[in-house]
Amino acid sequence: MTFPLYIFLIIYFIFLLIWLIFSFIGVYHMLKFGFLNLTTFFVIFIFIAVSFLILIASYKYLSQIDWRMNISIFGDIIKINF
Amino acid sequence: MLSIYRLPGKLPDEKVMKVLRRDLFILVKKILFFLLLLILPFVLSYLVATSIFPEILFGQISYPLFILLVSFFYLFLWVFFFFSFIDYYLDVWIITNERIINIEQQGFFARTISEQRLERIQDVTSEVEGFFPTILKYGNVYVQTAGAKERFFFSEIPNPDEVRDTIIKLAEISKKRAAHIA
Repeated sequence: MTFPLYIFLIIYFIFLLIWLIFSFIGVYHMLKFGFLNLTTFFVIFIFIAVSFLILIASYKYLSQIDWRMNISIFGDIIKINF
Repeated sequence: MLSIYRLPGKLPDEKVMKVLRRDLFILVKKILFFLLLLILPFVLSYLVATSIFPEILFGQISYPLFILLVSFFYLFLWVFFFFSFIDYYLDVWIITNERIINIEQQGFFARTISEQRLERIQDVTSEVEGFFPTILKYGNVYVQTAGAKERFFFSEIPNPDEVRDTIIKLAEISKKRAAHIA
């Protein structure tokens, strides 16, 4: 059985979407139920900034990989075809 | 958004005396746990690199999978830490000269706001139990009110004895005022 490596990337993007929904829910709760003060906005800012840093670092590493590579699986042996 | 200047169901001449959250040590514990999990991928990759199969980290399939897993791990770790902070930050107890208000976030999409009038308070108990609570002076305060089965519960707040004294003092003033009006 052969399948391209980008299948893993698609699964990753599905989880990224779930993560995005969780993040939105978190920020929404802070804005709706948090106190109207600097701490609330500072925490939201830090959350978004660190999230961006993780996403940028992930992109940096993921962009170096050739995702069009095919993976062949024969039983328990994994082979790579270019 | 909640503001101490716009309390839920604010009464005329109501003044905020204290705004309480769980002790800062509870947040520090969460941060330490988060930091411990933060180094987990580094520890695992070090263990694999020093094992008998160090090439597993740089394989043509294992390397992309490793990068995806690490990215996934950090993104979800960060969002769950954010949730944990929200749980700490949104649980608030407010003591005013008229009532005590308990605002509790119970996970997402579940929020409880309860209040008790000070003149209805019958008994206030503070409790400090355990090594860290004793050293760092944090604990629980239970407020028993007339007719209420459930006690009002301030969880892991700093200086519980001081808070108990404040509630008792304010309750006495409130009872005197209520008796004077009657």
